[in-house]
Amino acid sequence: MFEFLEKNTSVNTNIETVGFIIALVCLIRDKNWFWRGMVLYLFITCLTELIGLHIKKLYLADMAHVHPNIWIYNILLIFQAAFISVMFQHLLSRYIDSKLIIICGLALLGVLYVYEVFDHGVFVKHNLTTTTMSVLFVVYSLYYFYHVLRDDRYLSLWHDASFWWVAGILLFYFGSIASVLYFQMLATISLHARTTYPIYRILIIMLYGCWSYAFICRKWLSPGLKT
Amino acid sequence: MVIAGFKDLDINELVLTTTLIFLIAPAFLLLYIFIYNRRKKRHIEEKEQMRENFEAEVVKTQMEVQEQTMQTIGADLHDNIGQLLSLTSFTLGSIELDDPEKARGKINAAIDLTSRSIKEMRLLGRLLQGEQLIGMGLPDAIRQEVKWAEKSGQYQVTCLIDEELPAQNNPDKDLIIFRILQEALNNIIKHAGATQINIKLMYTGGQLTLHINDNGSGFNLNGQMPAQSGMGLYNMRKRAEIVGGRVNIESAQGEGASITIYIPYP
Repeated sequence: MFEFLEKNTSVNTNIETVGFIIALVCLIRDKNWFWRGMVLYLFITCLTELIGLHIKKLYLADMAHVHPNIWIYNILLIFQAAFISVMFQHLLSRYIDSKLIIICGLALLGVLYVYEVFDHGVFVKHNLTTTTMSVLFVVYSLYYFYHVLRDDRYLSLWHDASFWWVAGILLFYFGSIASVLYFQMLATISLHARTTYPIYRILIIMLYGCWSYAFICRKWLSPGLKT
Repeated sequence: MVIAGFKDLDINELVLTTTLIFLIAPAFLLLYIFIYNRRKKRHIEEKEQMRENFEAEVVKTQMEVQEQTMQTIGADLHDNIGQLLSLTSFTLGSIELDDPEKARGKINAAIDLTSRSIKEMRLLGRLLQGEQLIGMGLPDAIRQEVKWAEKSGQYQVTCLIDEELPAQNNPDKDLIIFRILQEALNNIIKHAGATQINIKLMYTGGQLTLHINDNGSGFNLNGQMPAQSGMGLYNMRKRAEIVGGRVNIESAQGEGASITIYIPYP
């Protein structure tokens, strides 16, 4: 059993699986569709990670005939952009009508994605889309926090699920911008020598740590905000 | 190989440093939001405390006004109406039916004393009615007061009320404004000997202005400021200040008096 898990999982997949289980426990009965959608999103993420890990093993065994697992993460990018943007639209609706901003952001990402598909296909990382998406999510997060600061009402931030969800996004995407920006340079050095893996591991721990706490807040600490 | 190793190290260090900087920035932002939010909480609590203090002040003022009203009623009943009725009783008791001419004079005096008692009783009744009148809203309460003053036939009263008054009223402030108006009218009726009274209620820029003036005997402002009887001019100022307002009084001997009250509203 342990041997199977060791062979078929990684630290990242373990963190994501824990995040998914917490989301499942906390949000499956949530009355809000946007929050409940997080369960599906995390399920898709976990599934992608597991498939990615499997493809990586196949690739390492037969580099001549198997493509690297980048294409599956390129597919995950679509879900990432959609789920997170929609969630931002929901969270920003507490302060403003952000539908137009979110739709424009999604349209931009769509155009870039299609451009990259035609430019270099699906087997090469869609770095332009990923970078733009990171920047967009950082901007959305800052915009959200700007409204939190401007709001006259006092928020119990320690128990505010929305705040922690956005905090996770900001830390992860702002932190990963450096790795995304230097992606081309990092591609020239060997996989084992890259620091991006431990960095991503720390960022993923931050993201899923914040999100898991947000889900717990949503379930137990801020019941008044469920509907 | 060694050169390549250095190159790897440089890029890795660059990425690591940049990532650290990129992580510190949002961490500070989150910290700032927490600190700002705590300040916001403190500010809200202070505001709430101020509101509670203000409400307590208003309640205290209302209690004081009520207490003073009762004192005025008590003093009037004892010193004024009581004396008038005693005098009436004494006059009626001293009538000698054998002397019809003298008796008629005493009966007329008794009738006059009774009329004065009724007039005094009506004045007291008005004081007790204040809170019921204010239930109709400040403009209607003022109109009722004007009607009452006109009824005597001794005064010509003009009343102008701004139609642009805020839809949302403040009953606490209304009562205090109304009591000030009542006191001003009482002073005019009792001491000024006026024939013309003008009342104007206006609302501009979040401020309610009540202006009352008469063509009576007026008074010397320097000698009149401290509370002398009832609410007095001094108390009018004090009441207005409690609800964040101010009173401007202008008068001179033989030139009537003008009282303007400015109250932030609602």
